Amino acid sequence: MKFIDWLDERLAVKELVKVTLTEYYVPKNINFLWSFGVLVMLVFAILVVSGIFLLMYYKPDAHLAFDSVNKTIMMDVEYGWLFRHTHAVGASIMFLVLFIHMARGIYYGSFKAPREIVWITGYILFVLMSATAFTGYLLPWGQMSYWAAQTITTLFEKIPFIGPDLVIWIRGNYIVEDATLTRFFALHVVFLPLLLIVFTAIHLYAVRIPGSNNEDGEHYTKEEKKHGKGIPFWPVFMAKEFFVMSIFLTFFFYLVFYQYKFAMDPINFQPADYLQTPMHIYPEWYFLAFYEVLRGFFFSQNLGLIAFVLSMFIAAFLPWLDTSPIVSGKHRPIYKVLFWIFIADFVFLTILGKLPPTGLYAWLGFVGSLIYFAFFLALPIVSRIEKKKVAGGR
Amino acid sequence: MKELKILAILVVIVLIGYWGIEPYAHSVMHGEVKKSDYAYSDLKVSAPTGGDATKGKELFMANCASCHGVKNDGINPGMDKNAAITSFNVVPPDLSNTAAILDHKFLVAFIKNPQEATKNPKFAMPPMAQLSDEDVANIIAYLSSVAKKDLTGKEIVVEACGRCHSVKYQKIEAETPKDNLKAYLGKIPPDLSVMGKAKELEYLESFINNPQNGLPGTSMPRLGLTKEATEKTVAYLDQIADPHRDQRNKLGVWVLGYLLFMAGLTFAWKKKIWKNIH
Repeated sequence: MKFIDWLDERLAVKELVKVTLTEYYVPKNINFLWSFGVLVMLVFAILVVSGIFLLMYYKPDAHLAFDSVNKTIMMDVEYGWLFRHTHAVGASIMFLVLFIHMARGIYYGSFKAPREIVWITGYILFVLMSATAFTGYLLPWGQMSYWAAQTITTLFEKIPFIGPDLVIWIRGNYIVEDATLTRFFALHVVFLPLLLIVFTAIHLYAVRIPGSNNEDGEHYTKEEKKHGKGIPFWPVFMAKEFFVMSIFLTFFFYLVFYQYKFAMDPINFQPADYLQTPMHIYPEWYFLAFYEVLRGFFFSQNLGLIAFVLSMFIAAFLPWLDTSPIVSGKHRPIYKVLFWIFIADFVFLTILGKLPPTGLYAWLGFVGSLIYFAFFLALPIVSRIEKKKVAGGR
Repeated sequence: MKELKILAILVVIVLIGYWGIEPYAHSVMHGEVKKSDYAYSDLKVSAPTGGDATKGKELFMANCASCHGVKNDGINPGMDKNAAITSFNVVPPDLSNTAAILDHKFLVAFIKNPQEATKNPKFAMPPMAQLSDEDVANIIAYLSSVAKKDLTGKEIVVEACGRCHSVKYQKIEAETPKDNLKAYLGKIPPDLSVMGKAKELEYLESFINNPQNGLPGTSMPRLGLTKEATEKTVAYLDQIADPHRDQRNKLGVWVLGYLLFMAGLTFAWKKKIWKNIH
């Protein structure tokens, strides 16, 4: 008896391979943007592996953290610098890949029925990943680590009634200090990665029920995909995916070796000092757009805070904001225009987020924030227009 | 073709974003780095000429040796280290190699009026107004005669920065105790171990030349280093902050080469698998 048969009797591996790979079909009319889901998984794997190696030398203690990162890991451990560069660049690129993955979903309508659960679990993954990145950023205990954590945790103060107590509860002290570092460490290396894995599993399971969306937003049955409309996940889809991965990894490691500064801010090579506030405090680039929405309502802190929270979560409600019967943006001329305005606005907000919020920049931030929300608020209207058009066409 | 178009759009968006958050944001936040002035043109003195080292040594013994030593010439300071720290909150430097790393015109101005030359009104050394131009030239001639030539970057950092700054990853401890430094300068000067990463090298060079260039109002005194000494200092700080640069650059080539090779292989496989699909 062959080993594979022996295993099959016990674990039904042949059926498993069929269901998940060789007889799982993805539509043929997709482009390489559909590769980004697998790329997210790849970057996650890179982060886990590099993270485990960093964990072997990192010291979660306010007195030791900075030196364990910048001396032990960066200078003393063989190739320690490689793992840190990979982890730092990996965290940054994770968000680039995530944003592209999400933007593809928004453009081609992948959030629409029957894929709402796919979208929601994906959105939860985005939020969890943001929390992972935020807690991880404190760990090197540099100036920007410290002040970003200090600034963002202060935001919770504005929550009615429980705010001030909540801030102390989160920090474990009146200011960000050792207790904050150790708890962020616990969240970053255990709790959040566990949740990420659980939700990734649900996300992947969920996408397999309706199957992947496609450029035209058409619905294909399994039979249709088997006979002409689709390609098997293995080996056909993955054959292309491996090529995309190779190109992506070339880009990724180019950044790791030669262009890593964007992910390792120079100011973070100064140790955290609670007596000295840096002149400019800004989050990592992937939070800049949301941060700019917070600052955009410069005339009212409370309004800014509400807008900030809303900006981070409003996209989760896309399936209920956009109820148009036409799925793919490819066949929705008005939506297409709105989409590109939204993308341009997001880039615009990201750039503004790092600039000093004064004079003209403050007003531009306000306008940018309004456009950000206008996109979401316009969706029900566009949906109504398109519903009428579809009904009239019949 | 369509996929290349999509890729081109992605690349353009990413590049615009990158330009905005890196080069553009930095130019707005930090502005232009001020140019270094190694002629110290704000100081209204002229560089010393001539000078007699023997006379200089006599003058040194009479005017400087109560606080400063010259180890190269076997001269110990009259005041021991602890007494100096108690009176000045900072250790007076040994002047063995000073003339090799400091600009001589700056030295003239410094000896006559340290507060003005360093741009630090609380600078510990009192002005030596009693010395004539000739006296000063003689002292500088003496210091030049004992100074070691061709100091390394590390030696310069120890000489020029080591009284106040530690470089703990290189096991260099600031000569003056932290509490005294805090009393003298208002804060403990930062450790220099990874300063080469925390600041742009161009900024560091301009800052060392004149700290007021980078941090107006800072209590760090202007040191008056020559161009050569400044450049060696910056090169040293850069090198200790990034000791694995060569290894990184070399390994990078191999990794990228390997990945491009993989891209070739995977492309060939994709072609083969997709031959009959379309």
